[in-house]
Amino acid sequence: MDTSSPAALVNAEILGMFVGRRVRTVVQVQRSEGGVVVGLSTDGHQLTIKSAMDVPVSHFMEVYGIAESNQAIRAEVCTDFGPSFDAKAFDGLCKLASDKFRHMFL
Amino acid sequence: MYGGGHYDGGGAGAANSNSLFGGGGFMPSQSTAVPESSGVSKGRSAHALLPLTVKQIMDAAQASDDKSNFAINGVEVSTVRLVGRMLGKVERVTDVAFTLDDGTGKIDVNRWENESSDTKEMADVNNGNYVIVNGGLKGFQGKRHVVAYSVRRVTNFNDITHHFLHCIHVHLELTRPKSQMNANTATPRHANQVQFPNNQAATFSASANAAGNDVSNLVMSVFHHPSVMDLEHGVTMEYVLDRLKLPENVVRDVIQYHVEQGNIYNTIDDFHFKSAMNG
Repeated sequence: MDTSSPAALVNAEILGMFVGRRVRTVVQVQRSEGGVVVGLSTDGHQLTIKSAMDVPVSHFMEVYGIAESNQAIRAEVCTDFGPSFDAKAFDGLCKLASDKFRHMFL
Repeated sequence: MYGGGHYDGGGAGAANSNSLFGGGGFMPSQSTAVPESSGVSKGRSAHALLPLTVKQIMDAAQASDDKSNFAINGVEVSTVRLVGRMLGKVERVTDVAFTLDDGTGKIDVNRWENESSDTKEMADVNNGNYVIVNGGLKGFQGKRHVVAYSVRRVTNFNDITHHFLHCIHVHLELTRPKSQMNANTATPRHANQVQFPNNQAATFSASANAAGNDVSNLVMSVFHHPSVMDLEHGVTMEYVLDRLKLPENVVRDVIQYHVEQGNIYNTIDDFHFKSAMNG
């Protein structure tokens, strides 16, 4: 059992609090060029995902990686979540998991 | 409240696993009332299926030296649900071992393959897949691991969000101040202190729907009466009719409704009913 490198559930707003650390988020892919994906975060901001895998435009993509800035993540693992995903629920979860219930996740 | 569809019951060892998963769709406090022949038991809460994060398991206090006892939020935990990514899957002759990473931490999981259905289920999941694991939490020499009863691939990714929200919800329920917690169960108990005047029937219309919550509350208050709660087999509809002096069809409809809602369940036969509320 190992909880030494947890990934914080983040939206764009919360991403800034975790620069340099492991994060996980979900973005809706807007465009993809040579391994760099630009996607819309669940709270409506543009995020740049580096070293991302190829996920079709408009699909939701989950990203595990290191937060490079409050707008960019270097991806370690990406998962195609498909064209329909409840972004609002995920956004709500990010807020809860990074604030009041942080002790359950980090 | 919760879509219990996560477990499709295709496993072995039917009788035992049924009682383990019977509570899957409920909050732990309610699932403790899963019908059991053993009567009231303080250990029942341990059978409730708790959705957890790996971090919570890591933080769990070992209740005693007994290897299987853990406590989270003061509740004894043995059956857990975890959702995360499968890593390092190793297939052996009789079991499959893997590491589950749910983003909060990693934990080792073991799945014994007793039947061909188990093998089939494990063949469907591979490294990198998101899986829903229901299983028993075990501890050995300070190391915690899960012996899985079911491992299923996540096909709807909202299940991941839902799992974590469910973890938070259950955590909130279990950590809620005691006074509030009691308020839930205390309310109906106060109601049953009231003596029911025998002429009450006259005030109710023949339709349970039209009569609404009043009849429903009255019927439930009979089931929640301490003397009835103590009866292992519950009571018959005739008993309720005798207590309330209400029209039979009204009471039947109300009981039927509460059975469908899961508030009341049949005990020894089709005629005995008992409240699912934790006695």
